[in-house]
Amino acid sequence: MNRMTRREFLKMLGAGAALTAAGLAGCAPTPEPTKAPTVVAPTAPAVPTVAKATGKLSVYSALNETTNNEFVKAFKAANPGVEVDLLPMAAAGELQTRIRTEKASPKADVFIGGSSEFHDALGKEGLLEAYKSPNANIVGSTFKDPNGFWTGWYIGIFGFVYNTDRFAKEMANVKKPTTWDDLLDPAWKGKLAYPDPVKTGGGFIFMATQVFRFNKDEEKAMEYMKKLHANIAQYTGTATQVIQLVAQGQFIGGLNWAHDILTTKAQGLPIDLIVPEMTGFEIGAVSIVKGGPNPIAARVFVDWVLTKQAGELNVKLSNRGSVRPDVEPAPGAPTLDKVKLVQYDRQWASDNKDRLLKKWQATVGM
Amino acid sequence: MRRISREPSVVITLVILVGLMLAFIIYPQVQVVLVPGLGGYVEFLAGQTWVKPFFNSLQVMLLSTTTAVILGFIYAYAMVYSKMPFKPFFRVIGVLPLLSPPFVVAASYILLFGPRGMISYYVFGQSPNILGLGGLWGVQTIAFFPFAYQLIADVLARSDARMEQAARNLGAGPWQVFRTITLPMARPGLLAAILTTAIYIVEDFGNPALIAGQFTVLPTQAYGLISGFGDVTGAAVVSTILLLLALALYIAKTRIEGQRSYVTISGRAGTIPRPPVPMIVNVFCFVACSFLAILILMVYGVLLISAIVEVFPVKWTLTFKHFEFLTSNITPLQNTLVYGTTAAIICALFAMLLGFLVQRREWRGKRIVDFIAIMPAAIPGIFFGIGYATAFNQRWLDWIDRGALITISMIFWNIPVGYQAALAGLQQIDRSLDDAATSLGAGSLRAFRDILFPLLDSALLTGFVTAFVRAVTTLSVVIFLFTPSTTVATIKIFQLVNDFMWGGATAFTVSVVGVAVLVLVIVWAISGRRVGLQRTG
Repeated sequence: MNRMTRREFLKMLGAGAALTAAGLAGCAPTPEPTKAPTVVAPTAPAVPTVAKATGKLSVYSALNETTNNEFVKAFKAANPGVEVDLLPMAAAGELQTRIRTEKASPKADVFIGGSSEFHDALGKEGLLEAYKSPNANIVGSTFKDPNGFWTGWYIGIFGFVYNTDRFAKEMANVKKPTTWDDLLDPAWKGKLAYPDPVKTGGGFIFMATQVFRFNKDEEKAMEYMKKLHANIAQYTGTATQVIQLVAQGQFIGGLNWAHDILTTKAQGLPIDLIVPEMTGFEIGAVSIVKGGPNPIAARVFVDWVLTKQAGELNVKLSNRGSVRPDVEPAPGAPTLDKVKLVQYDRQWASDNKDRLLKKWQATVGM
Repeated sequence: MRRISREPSVVITLVILVGLMLAFIIYPQVQVVLVPGLGGYVEFLAGQTWVKPFFNSLQVMLLSTTTAVILGFIYAYAMVYSKMPFKPFFRVIGVLPLLSPPFVVAASYILLFGPRGMISYYVFGQSPNILGLGGLWGVQTIAFFPFAYQLIADVLARSDARMEQAARNLGAGPWQVFRTITLPMARPGLLAAILTTAIYIVEDFGNPALIAGQFTVLPTQAYGLISGFGDVTGAAVVSTILLLLALALYIAKTRIEGQRSYVTISGRAGTIPRPPVPMIVNVFCFVACSFLAILILMVYGVLLISAIVEVFPVKWTLTFKHFEFLTSNITPLQNTLVYGTTAAIICALFAMLLGFLVQRREWRGKRIVDFIAIMPAAIPGIFFGIGYATAFNQRWLDWIDRGALITISMIFWNIPVGYQAALAGLQQIDRSLDDAATSLGAGSLRAFRDILFPLLDSALLTGFVTAFVRAVTTLSVVIFLFTPSTTVATIKIFQLVNDFMWGGATAFTVSVVGVAVLVLVIVWAISGRRVGLQRTG
């Protein structure tokens, strides 16, 4: 330390100056978008940051492999100065945990993918940087955090998967379920798989959906869950396992994410998707980690994720829906305006999670 | 027993070893245990969601440990005592279940024995729902008998054939020799095997995650709390319960073990062949091992076929496209090998030296250090990983290479493996050997290096092998540590499984297992030349 050469000292000075400049450039645009919800020209805010984005950008992603690869490629093409270091992890809860454990020295700039609940919790803990992207103006207010900690950019809808071969052979006289109540038909006894709500986010969203379906009448919802329990052959430890087991024909039907069902079906497996009415959904979010190494590039990335181009790419690769009204849904994929949804109160669901799970465990005796 | 205070070099060595263990085992774990705070503990424990998983964990531990140790003993006995053919083949088979990233292998069991399993349904017309306790019991037995086998085989191979010969010459029958000589001599090893296997089973997360269904055990509960809900507090409480359970196991072990010692090596003389076992035993050994081998080969067969056909099990067109995926993702495979091998070598040596100092020298605080060395076995991998991420992801430590940190985590997470092997090995070497060396003027460390170390080669090998396979197959320890450039194979496989890319996942698995087997075969070949025939009798 005390032996610092002059050159090193100058270097440090330079770095400090650059940081200050970067900080100024980064701070300046933030307050602006709040005043104008109109979609008019994203003038001042986006342009200067775009010009300055360089260096390495660290992205923590809960998206799937192909989407990750294509996203990195497309983003780099749009921003040649930025190098993307993408860390993929299938479970958003793991990324969330990782961002928490790294808070002493954050390694991520951007957290992308996974339900907004995961982002929301981090935002409340002060681990995210608020940023209202000019490109988020087109996004409806239900899909973004009022404080700007996270912005929703895709939609996942909960649905029903069934094995077409076994259904045709063994359940010819049973009608395809169009409501969740149809799953209570005794014909389904021992043929359904359901991701354990205690261990999986999707399983819990399904259960909360039932509560909302009965207008928060928890007794009725639990009665439904109890009857459904009689038909369930298997609760699985991970959400993806349900689709795998149904595709293998181990079970005939299962509860899962519509987009994952469609993606698996596309591999040529004998399964199909039904979206029963009054279903629940998740908002897939993107957020900026506070204190990350490259905050400027992080904003540029978030801006880019919210473009029409990125929305279309994601729809194509993952079968999810975009929050942008100008992005067409994937062929065969359900969209929010075509399916009937429950009034899913995200805040209430996460506040009452433990209580509901315990109630459910007591109801079904697990 | 010798005191160490008169030997500064020993004291320094000990201080270094203990210091490293405090830094890399205790410190990160304390970070995790403190996460919930008192209020967090009270609230979570009062909620009682952990009660059922707790008893489930106990149940599966008791069942699976019993069967795994029995199978492990039979396998080890067959390898060491019997004259069954194809032993090298069986040795490779016996280690395969250890090499499998659990996510994929449990899935293979379901494909074989599930409600529409290829064997259960299409051969026998049965629709067993194996997801649950039954399936988990079966899978854990197969998955963990190799641990028991490794530990027991090492002990059996070390037992002195002369005592058995003498007993036979004095008129004892084969059964009597087995009951009164072989079994009692193997007792320390057996106890170590039971304890180790029990702790591994209770700690395992991968298999119950895939095959236990709603039968929730503590590790799957902890993981679910994190991955499904980001509830680190709850997960920390669950993990602490798991730690206490392991502590209880450890205390039970020290109580049972008592003070009896079974010294069997009093020199390097014993090249006397073991007394032959009756033909019927040879046949039984061969049949039992073959049955296990077929089962294991079927599981891997499914993986292999999945890796080379278009979409298993619906499109059976032969293809190598899944392996093409591998070539563009070669770094994770290389990382796995480099980290795994480095970690296993250091781990085995570290544990051996520690085992020597604990078992052969007298100093204060020995029992505590003994417990610290066994503790990582009781820490769920995911918590080991979180502990590391929290403790070592600090601004002032950012210069540490992530690959190095991952290797260090693998070393210390696997210490119990090498340590158990070292103790079991040391217990069978007569103290008078190293005492003679020290009486003749050699320092403790020299006696260890020149006398004990060469005698412990097979224990060292056991330590290396188990540490290696665990390092290569761990997912949860590294999941909070890896960076894009330090990704390992299991992470990749896990992602592929989650992305429904079963073909790619199996291609990756097959490659990892293949390369790992290659490493082990090379190690066996090298050590076999040095150890000679004594190992397998």
